[in-house]
Amino acid sequence: MSERIIELKNVSKQFPSVLANDNISLHINKGEIYAIVGENGAGKSTLMKTMYGLHEPTSGEVYIKGEKIKSFSPSNSIKRGIGMVHQHFMLVPSFTIAENIVLGSEPRSKRIFSDKKKAVDIVKSLSRTYGLEVDPNAKIQDVSVGIQQRVEILKTLYKGADILILDEPTAVLTPQETEELFKVIKRLVNELDKTVIIITHKLNEVLTISDRVAVMRQGKLVDVVNTREVNEKILAELMVGREVLLEDIDKPEIKGEEVVRVKDLVVKDNRGFDALKGVSFHINKGEILGVAGIEGNGQSELTEALAGMRKIEVGHVFIKGIDATGFNPKKIRELGVAHIPEDRLVTGLSKVSSITDNILMGSQFKEEFCKNKLHLKRDKIRDYAKKLIKKFDVRTPSEDVKVGSLSGGNMQKVVIAREFSFNTEILLISQPTRGVDIGAIEFIHDQIIKKRNEGCAILLISAELDEIFRLSDRIITLYEGKVTGEFKNGEITKNEIGYYMTGNRKEQV
Amino acid sequence: MFKKAKDNVEYLISLFLSIFAALLIGALIMLLNGQNPIVGYKALVLGAFGSKYKIATTFAKTVPLILTGLATAISFMSGIFNIGGEGQLYLGAFAAAYIGFTFTNLPVFIAIILAIIASALIGGLYAYFPAVLRVKYEIDEVITTIMLNSVAILFTNYLVNYPFQAAQGKMGGTDMIAEAFKFPKLVKLSKLNTSIFYTAIIAIIIYYLIKKTPFGYNFRIVGENGVFAKYAGINTKRYMILAMVISGALCGIAGAFEVYGVHYRFLQNISKGYAFDGMLVALIVKNNPVGIILMSIFFAMLKTGSNSMEVATGIPSELILVIQSIIILFIAGENGFKKLFKEYRLKRGKLVK
Amino acid sequence: MLHDVFNLTLLQNTIRTATPLILAALGGLLTMHAGILNIGMEGMILIGAFFGVLGSYYFGSALAGVLLAMLSGLLIGLIFGVFTIELKSDEFIIGIAINIFAGGLTVFLLRSIFGVKGAFSSPKIVPLPDVHFPIIDKLGFLDVIFNNHSVFIYISWILVICVYIFLYKTPYGYWMRGAGEHPECLETVGVSPKRMKYISSLLCGIFCGIAGAHLSLGYLTLFTENMSAGRGFIALAAIIFGASNPIKTFGAALLFGFFDALGIRLQGVGIASQFTQMIPYLATIFVLFIVAKGKLNRKGI
Repeated sequence: MSERIIELKNVSKQFPSVLANDNISLHINKGEIYAIVGENGAGKSTLMKTMYGLHEPTSGEVYIKGEKIKSFSPSNSIKRGIGMVHQHFMLVPSFTIAENIVLGSEPRSKRIFSDKKKAVDIVKSLSRTYGLEVDPNAKIQDVSVGIQQRVEILKTLYKGADILILDEPTAVLTPQETEELFKVIKRLVNELDKTVIIITHKLNEVLTISDRVAVMRQGKLVDVVNTREVNEKILAELMVGREVLLEDIDKPEIKGEEVVRVKDLVVKDNRGFDALKGVSFHINKGEILGVAGIEGNGQSELTEALAGMRKIEVGHVFIKGIDATGFNPKKIRELGVAHIPEDRLVTGLSKVSSITDNILMGSQFKEEFCKNKLHLKRDKIRDYAKKLIKKFDVRTPSEDVKVGSLSGGNMQKVVIAREFSFNTEILLISQPTRGVDIGAIEFIHDQIIKKRNEGCAILLISAELDEIFRLSDRIITLYEGKVTGEFKNGEITKNEIGYYMTGNRKEQV
Repeated sequence: MFKKAKDNVEYLISLFLSIFAALLIGALIMLLNGQNPIVGYKALVLGAFGSKYKIATTFAKTVPLILTGLATAISFMSGIFNIGGEGQLYLGAFAAAYIGFTFTNLPVFIAIILAIIASALIGGLYAYFPAVLRVKYEIDEVITTIMLNSVAILFTNYLVNYPFQAAQGKMGGTDMIAEAFKFPKLVKLSKLNTSIFYTAIIAIIIYYLIKKTPFGYNFRIVGENGVFAKYAGINTKRYMILAMVISGALCGIAGAFEVYGVHYRFLQNISKGYAFDGMLVALIVKNNPVGIILMSIFFAMLKTGSNSMEVATGIPSELILVIQSIIILFIAGENGFKKLFKEYRLKRGKLVK
Repeated sequence: MLHDVFNLTLLQNTIRTATPLILAALGGLLTMHAGILNIGMEGMILIGAFFGVLGSYYFGSALAGVLLAMLSGLLIGLIFGVFTIELKSDEFIIGIAINIFAGGLTVFLLRSIFGVKGAFSSPKIVPLPDVHFPIIDKLGFLDVIFNNHSVFIYISWILVICVYIFLYKTPYGYWMRGAGEHPECLETVGVSPKRMKYISSLLCGIFCGIAGAHLSLGYLTLFTENMSAGRGFIALAAIIFGASNPIKTFGAALLFGFFDALGIRLQGVGIASQFTQMIPYLATIFVLFIVAKGKLNRKGI
């Protein structure tokens, strides 16, 4: 039995609005590669930050190298030999690589000056020891993300880390860089006796690199398994499988003409890499097209592009036969598209505004609420807000309440109330029930189906497979920006679709 | 209903606490100077409202405060920060004066309308440039508008001392506007003039715009969450530029009123930081138009009454500048104070547990 | 006539007019590096100027004046820091509040302590000494330009180098710049970005205090209402123009000082000075524009 280098006992972390970690107990052995997987918001990053001392757990105990942690701070963790490579790099762009590596514990000359030459020498020798080639005098802002990550790793090694925590290390890397990184990790563990904890949601990577895998879901630790005993499918099920017993929904067959056609869509993500690499599909009237996929495979970019919020590089979007490529959100909406965005707090709502104001958005110039496009009919607006609050079951003391003070489910109902009430022919729906309690899920699903039965063409993007299967008429799978499969609902099982979601185009299972 | 009411009550409590604390500090300073603060503050209030003349003087001072306050409100609520009111005011004042002393033969009504339009246009235009720089090139409008203040003041300074110096020679001002154009005084000897009515009309229009129209709603949402506004199909850039232009126009008009109602000519130091005072007014009441009017009256009261306070106690009237700036410090720190207070309570609660 | 304007005295004047800008800008660029836009320098200078005179008058010593000015600057920097860093208030609102506060406070104190309006001068105010370097006596024009200036003119040059060394050669400088550019990064390596921001804010107060004391004890020997006269904003312009680099900012301050001195001399011969005085502000906007445009172009590629 190898030494337990980190051990968590009943660790919980409560944030003002969410329980991010719920009673987690686990241990990490010296010299292993330990992976933690889970969807966005499952609580992985919070757990890492607790280990690194950036958070103090609300309850529970943390032991590092057998010693119980009493005061949580990064500098204490650094002293104990923990180093963390954050998802968003903690590097000062205008400093050189050497300056970044030694930041906070610079070698000095005459006590008060930082010794640049020595810093460069240190970095060179670190590079040599660990086989991580960098140019100490290059500025961070001029080097690739792959190099930046190398610098982050060197930074932890310079501070004497023997436990490395890597938070989503491959999220920003190209496949070649990822391969390179994995070689480095293996070397660190096998030859230099380090312990590595890696957080990710890319299952294929977990299988390649790790010894053991912990799966998290909604703040809880679901299971810890030995990597060689599992496959992607098992992991995917553990990750996304939400045990919700929802009855099947009755969906009458509707034959409708095509309303949306997407052709060879190429869209870049925020970093400038291709997030969609030629995606094509169509949606008919009265049909829900579900998009299944592990998060981060282009889903966000897809909805944003369709909503006119992200530039389309190549390809076309046709809405009701009109070429809507390059339209801005206003024009897209005028064509009859409503949009439930995945990030409701930033995009879908104004938190500091009242429910009424949030519901009014998009209708403020309609004759119903505004005389002569000049005078808002406050009473009518208030009545309308009250009506929607009732119809969509938003639990709130009043329509004047600021949206930010509502619970996640109720916020989402406000978005849905607004967008569904536009009575558009097309709906883009992204993660409709994320962070929403079960009662509200049922309600939201019913609303979506109602829209479908009224003849809406709906694009549904969800990380919840159950949701996709329950609501969709047709399902496409998205993997690394490409459509890897298309099925009528009922043609395929949840078990089988996992293969397509992970990029394996298995013809038959 | 009660939640919003609760927010408002909480804010009002903070506001009164801030004012009270600032007045308390003022009282302390009076005590340190060996004076009775009650006497001082009584003199201050009486000095501002004790007679018809004094009331008139107080209300005369509200005009530039209300206009520049509203100007601040409309830009700040839209998420773009016009700190350049002072410069816009100077340029607007000069433009209005120019019309007043050049086209002296115009019918009064036309001349005044023309002067107001000119001051609004030049003020708006002067705000347009930093707005475009911000929206198109992401250049911090706080910095550019501050710099443009100095440029406008220097430029008008040049104009009055060189090409447009008064007929009687260099005196830091232009010629007088035509006699007929001067706004009539409402109370003899005081500075209160008909511009207060125009200000009232403008205040009502801006109130209406902000509170009752879909445009006002859009301004507010653009300021509260620009991403959301964009997602919902609002052209956020256009609204930000528009807010800035309206803001600049109001400051320009404030300048015109100073010329037509008070000085009857453009002076090279026509405003002693009115736009900054107006900005403080708007910040203190969080851009609420009604609040701006009330707070302007309060500030004007402090300004007018401070002289009587000085006479009664010998305390220099500038004490009220100190009081005003302390109020704004407290209001600006309001959220921070509240957060610290909550954290403190949380910590204490945890220890008890 | 032009000969009366463009001569050695112009350069000598440049050095004089630039010094308060240099001193204030050194402070402001520290907060700028720490990620705080300080538009309250105008008020900080004013407070320093007043307390410089007060200290010198009461203690009969210019040094006491400077120390009191530094102390007052420190306090005002602390207030600025508490509000912007601790209470997370808007920097520019606090900056404006400090400017108004300083304007009110100095006049209030001027009147309640000295009982005068507008300006205070007295033979009892001990000015800062001029420094005479015998070595450059014989060097002709160098003597005219560089010799016999008030002591803080020379100190300001030394401070430029000190600030440069501090920012780029010591760990603390790295931390301060890190605090502005990437505070979370600093936090993760165990240095408190908050502390660095505080230090920058306090140092800025002290530098502006010195700038004020130089203005009221070195440049002139009196205090007048609002005597900072926009220097805080020109200092800000110099910082932006000099890309927050002490050496470049020093250069920008000298340049702006030159235009100021030129303006004053042009006025002396009856030529409008306003346009030369505008240059710092317009130049700053221009620089911001060029930088922003460059950024957008890079994004385009």
